[in-house]
Amino acid sequence: MEEKNYSQLMACHECDALQNIEHIPKGNVALCVCCGQRLFKNSHSPIEKPLALIIACVILFLVANIFPVMRLSIAGIEQHVTITESARIFYELGKPELALVVWLTSVILPAFCVFSLLYILLSIHFKKPWRFSRFLLAWVSRLLPWGMMDVFLLAILVALVKLVSLAEVVLGLGFSAFVALVLCYAAAISSIEMHILWDKLDKIST
Amino acid sequence: MGLANCHVCDQLVQLGDQTDAICPRCHSGVHYRKHNSINLAWAFLISAFIMYIPANTEAIMITDALGQQSSDTILSGVLYFLTHGDWPLALVIFSASVLLPLLKIISIGYLLISVQRRNITRQKEKTRLYLIAEVMGRWSMVDVFVVALLAALIQMGKLSTIEPGPAGLAFAAMVILTMFSAMAFDPRLIWDQPEKI
Repeated sequence: MEEKNYSQLMACHECDALQNIEHIPKGNVALCVCCGQRLFKNSHSPIEKPLALIIACVILFLVANIFPVMRLSIAGIEQHVTITESARIFYELGKPELALVVWLTSVILPAFCVFSLLYILLSIHFKKPWRFSRFLLAWVSRLLPWGMMDVFLLAILVALVKLVSLAEVVLGLGFSAFVALVLCYAAAISSIEMHILWDKLDKIST
Repeated sequence: MGLANCHVCDQLVQLGDQTDAICPRCHSGVHYRKHNSINLAWAFLISAFIMYIPANTEAIMITDALGQQSSDTILSGVLYFLTHGDWPLALVIFSASVLLPLLKIISIGYLLISVQRRNITRQKEKTRLYLIAEVMGRWSMVDVFVVALLAALIQMGKLSTIEPGPAGLAFAAMVILTMFSAMAFDPRLIWDQPEKI
């Protein structure tokens, strides 16, 4: 097989139309000529902006997962819950498979994506071809759709509305951090252009 | 041209007459189109539809308050909020758990049938439909998360407990299966000319 670099060419994910992306001005988004979907964004800071956001995500992730998101008090009994605890309750109630689904989608996979992206972006930023960058980036692009922190945020709001009429509910520090985390994470993911990350990894390793 | 696009890293790989190769950049499999795309997508879609039925007819949550047991399905929960004047919440739950999964299943089914019948009209709209269906499926997971939060918060009170019902697992399975179905479907089939399929 011929080893050739086609980095100026890109095939649309949706319709496979092959297009030249060499002359897209900085800060512009190219749409596919065939199907009209977003093809490529030539961002002003393709590495630094996502890196800043991902560092924020790392800090917020730790805070959001250590501190309780909600505190409930009924008749003097206080109960608080963190995100991991809400998954663990299914395990305790004899539903380990549900516990696993909740834990993976709301804690483990987002954590994997955040920490891997930090590793990859740092590797590109410092121009160091660290060993696992390619492996991790391939897995991040596969696992990205399975992180469901935004859905979990909606669930917290629904649970909040359901409980307000029954008991006294107080939102914890974990909740504020989690809201900020969901926003930062969404901003980070949308500012990342996978095509550019792969190109940069190719450049630093040769 | 004999070029194929890697699904994982966007690398263009010279395939020529081969049907498979390993991507030199990210080491995942490369092919012109996803293999068995239509069959796999149908299999996941039909399984998801089967799961959709218990997810909505079985109890999602079993509440035990002072020895009195009651079980709630999604629809009885929606009706409760509707009768208590909490219609925004009823709307959120109804669309996330009942409407969106059904729309997603219908959308992907429609795309599969149109690809199988070699229908190449309105390709832009179909591509957009596919992208919308792809992102909206995950929101149906919201009910499973809500039950987890409620169960964890209420459990320790001892006076009342909340337990997940059988619908919880059906919901999780349905969401995962519709996501697999959307991933198995290759949107590029929408654009292929009839003789190429």
